[in-house]
Amino acid sequence: MIPLVAVVSLNKENSRTFRLWVPIALIWLLLVPLVVLFSPLILIACLLCQVNPFRMFSVGWQILSALKDTKVELGRRTAAVSVCIL
Amino acid sequence: MSEYRRQILQMLSEKKITADEAERLIAAAEGTTVASAVNGSSLDAKLKPKYLRVQVDSEGNYGGEGPTKVNVRVPMQLLRAGVRLAGLIPAPALQRANDAMHEQGIPIDLTQIKPENLEELIEQLHDLSVDVDQNAYAAKVRVKVFCE
Repeated sequence: MIPLVAVVSLNKENSRTFRLWVPIALIWLLLVPLVVLFSPLILIACLLCQVNPFRMFSVGWQILSALKDTKVELGRRTAAVSVCIL
Repeated sequence: MSEYRRQILQMLSEKKITADEAERLIAAAEGTTVASAVNGSSLDAKLKPKYLRVQVDSEGNYGGEGPTKVNVRVPMQLLRAGVRLAGLIPAPALQRANDAMHEQGIPIDLTQIKPENLEELIEQLHDLSVDVDQNAYAAKVRVKVFCE
């Protein structure tokens, strides 16, 4: 299942933690029509590069599905940023 | 309380394992099957790692912002999916890369590397542990790479 939500946390010194829930499902919804629109070009590019287009989409889907639980945290004394894909 | 959990807590009370190890073992015992029994010193559970972790601690004071910490957690599934990209590289491109590497004196044949080999490499990452401690720019930098 592809991730649908990401959480971005900003923590500044002497300040409350700011947490933002990003609905990346909306980003996927925006990308679907673009992919459909450019799919003929993508297919032509795959054929020219001798790459199986179905396998390419399959691997791309696997990569997107595996993004779940990815977490990146960067912290310093005055501020910290955390991005977590749920 | 399950038998596995009782044994893990017993070992923790006898300080045979750390609290971190106990937590991981309890999570594994509850969520997955444990491969072997207690042997007196630690539970020898063959756990498939779920994440690749990279931790960087720098005590330097760059720009007056104090020490820097970086913590990255990448699911192992993402690594597996990423290495499958290698299977998409067309054969002519691999051959050209091979030729370029041979010109530089690197005797590696990329056409012989199969996605199954890379999958096996990922599977063996569960024993990976890299600890780097060094002083850079008059500050101590610690890098840890491990799987959990």
